Amino acid sequence: MRRRLADRALLAGSWVSTGIILAAVLVLVGYLASRGGGALGLRLLFGDADPLAAITGRQPVFGGIWPALAGTCALVLVASCLAIPVGVASGVYLSEYASHRLQIILGFGVDLLASIPSIVMGLFGFTLIIFLRRTILPGANTSLILAAGCLAVLVLPGISRATYNSLAGLPDSLRLTGAGIGLTRWQSVTRVLIPAGSRGILSGCILGIGRAAEDTAVILLTGVVATSGLPRGLTEKFEALPFRIYVLASEHRDRAELDEGFGCALVLLLLTAALFACAFWLQRSFERKWSR
Amino acid sequence: MMRTSAIAVALLSALALPGCTSKVETLGIAGGTAHIPVMEKAAAKLMAADPGIRITVEGGGSGVGVQKVGEGLVQIGNTGRPLSDQEVDKYGLKSFAFAIDGVAVAVHPDNAVSELTSDQCREIFAGRISSWKVIGGPDGPISLYGRDEASGTREVFWTTALAKGEVAASTKVVPSNGAMKTAIAGDPLAIGYLGIGHVDESVKAIVLDGVEPTQENATSGVYKVNRQLFMNTKGEPAGLAKKFIDYILSPEGAKIIEECGYIPVSR
Amino acid sequence: MNGATRRARRERWLEGSLLLAALASACAVLLILAFLVYFSLPLFRPGAIAGILSGRWQPVGGEFGILPMLAGSLLIASLALAIAFPLALGVCAFVQGLGPPALARPVLAAVHFMTSIPTIVYSFVSVILLVPALRSAFAGRGGFSILTASLVLSVLILPTIVLLVHASWSGLGPSVRMTCAALGLSRTQEIFRVLVPVSSRSLVVAAILALGRALGDTMVSLLLAGNSPQWPSSILDSARTLTAHIAMVLAVDSQSPAYLSIFSSGLILLLVTASLTLAVRWIQSAAGRRRR
Repeated sequence: MRRRLADRALLAGSWVSTGIILAAVLVLVGYLASRGGGALGLRLLFGDADPLAAITGRQPVFGGIWPALAGTCALVLVASCLAIPVGVASGVYLSEYASHRLQIILGFGVDLLASIPSIVMGLFGFTLIIFLRRTILPGANTSLILAAGCLAVLVLPGISRATYNSLAGLPDSLRLTGAGIGLTRWQSVTRVLIPAGSRGILSGCILGIGRAAEDTAVILLTGVVATSGLPRGLTEKFEALPFRIYVLASEHRDRAELDEGFGCALVLLLLTAALFACAFWLQRSFERKWSR
Repeated sequence: MMRTSAIAVALLSALALPGCTSKVETLGIAGGTAHIPVMEKAAAKLMAADPGIRITVEGGGSGVGVQKVGEGLVQIGNTGRPLSDQEVDKYGLKSFAFAIDGVAVAVHPDNAVSELTSDQCREIFAGRISSWKVIGGPDGPISLYGRDEASGTREVFWTTALAKGEVAASTKVVPSNGAMKTAIAGDPLAIGYLGIGHVDESVKAIVLDGVEPTQENATSGVYKVNRQLFMNTKGEPAGLAKKFIDYILSPEGAKIIEECGYIPVSR
Repeated sequence: MNGATRRARRERWLEGSLLLAALASACAVLLILAFLVYFSLPLFRPGAIAGILSGRWQPVGGEFGILPMLAGSLLIASLALAIAFPLALGVCAFVQGLGPPALARPVLAAVHFMTSIPTIVYSFVSVILLVPALRSAFAGRGGFSILTASLVLSVLILPTIVLLVHASWSGLGPSVRMTCAALGLSRTQEIFRVLVPVSSRSLVVAAILALGRALGDTMVSLLLAGNSPQWPSSILDSARTLTAHIAMVLAVDSQSPAYLSIFSSGLILLLVTASLTLAVRWIQSAAGRRRR
């Protein structure tokens, strides 16, 4: 009898916790959509500026989030260019070249890197600039390239792990086939294994991009500003969506700015959700292809 | 992978291109957060008039302003307090006062309390008076808000209004004047302090020792908790920094300063 | 012959560059550590360490102790874990068969989706919705508080736990399920008397990783915990975490102990998260040894 009671309680607990979590997500997304949905539109993006002139950068935008959106895109683009080649290459090395011993040691290093809080990564970027200014580059300043570089280091371990897992999950028969038809190791990696694992690798890269797009703490210390206009170059300061949301969360002057905050948050959520959906779909189709 | 990096390089150069096509003159401004509305408005006006210039405005607080202009990270560093002699000596800074701003104690508009003495004020911020009931306010604990260490507003408020007294560790800390206003407007039991220029109907400014916190009273000196707002440059300002400072100090700049709720310093 | 040598040299060269990428990813953490240590060096002057590792933060009085922030970090993160962990187990049990099978996939998809919601979006919506709600629930206290931050963090780390535990339970396979069915155990008994004990190591690993995530987060505590540098005495008090402290104090005067305190905070954060990673490694390798 008592056992039945415990059973019931656990069953109820399971339903309740699932309910709580689903409710939390629904409230969050629903509230955001209802408040932010109304704000979406050309005005949210461009304020009073003419959209065409604003996109081409001929007219500065005030009171719109276009510069922040462009800043985030530039940031993500540069960070991906830095992180994806290195991350994929290191994943390939760990999976296909490294000895077991090296796999454990280097793999641990990658795990450690993955565990570093993003604010510490930002702090690292900040100290790097101070260091550079004191030594070889007195003109160095916090900037787009610094922020993107730190974001790249932040997402690097994820990409490396995803690549490693995708390749390690491939059947050994593929490796043997490559060797069997006389391919060198490099040829077998680039022509057989990477194409076979491409969806998993790509999925990992996209998740990394999403993480770079949403992170606030890194850019907070490495060059984001409240107003700068469109990003003009790698050594310039920039605006970014997550920072805009942070500023509006702590200081919305009126209802209009609050609505802008909701619009901004919704845009960022749509961006990361879309990236995530791509990654999720790719990962699924990768798993279906190779799990038998 | 080779192809990806080729595309990446192409995209990167596309990104860098607009920067190369025309010579852009840039100006970085950082520091005191009371200044931000004035700086942003002036920057918007100047940039709209001349597409060839770029002005970035950051906050951070007065301490950050001194640090950044001193290290050459920005060209203008704002402070909501006069520079100390050490700061002037260390970096060779030059100050330009442009406005007067009082620092007001503020509470939620629904709060019945609208007057305090300096003594009460000190007791409250030291955490010794912790209930609103004691001073005729709503039924509930006093929720203290203060500013970060880099803040010039905090510095002025602490030295003048609190006479360098104790500050309770339970004080919640917000990073800017704007954030202070938002925090007080959202918390019915809040008390905090902010530049009078930032006060509007969303918060209630407290009459201190019988003196209404207005910019007029601050200018005349009747309201004791006041300071000047400064722009600081490393050495004599040059180029765009000079142009910007001249604009702020011009009659047109004075109009912007007034629109933002401050009183311009007459030259 | 000549062609073969050239090809071999090319292979070696390519392998070398892959190794370089792997080394870069694995050693980046050492570089970050080196920078933080270098900038914390003034700490090792006499008296400095005792000053930083003391219990009072009162810069105007010359006291720069960061222990209250360490306490804030630990309290907020462990409270978040204490809230999230049972909820996560409930969700896992729901998905594993306590709930209707038709709902299992949508619930898992929702949890997956949660991983893509930006931290700053959670924080923004919570500032607007949760802070006033908790404030009125606790008669004026509890607005910007430890509780608020922990609640939001628990939602943030829940997917980490659910996905890891779910993977571990699914990996146990049908044999466990059939054994349980043969023994006449109910689903609830199967999950809480068999799956939970059998997968205890995975549960611990999931908890540690989630704790690391909670400790490393900046934006939630910066926006929601109130940032007061006091020893927390109640979960309705406000507190400052080490991460928020870095974001808050960065760039005061570069000579003052306040400036030094942020590098110490960064160093402490790095060491704590690194030892959590080490713990995970150790548990996993111990598990591997036992299985063999």
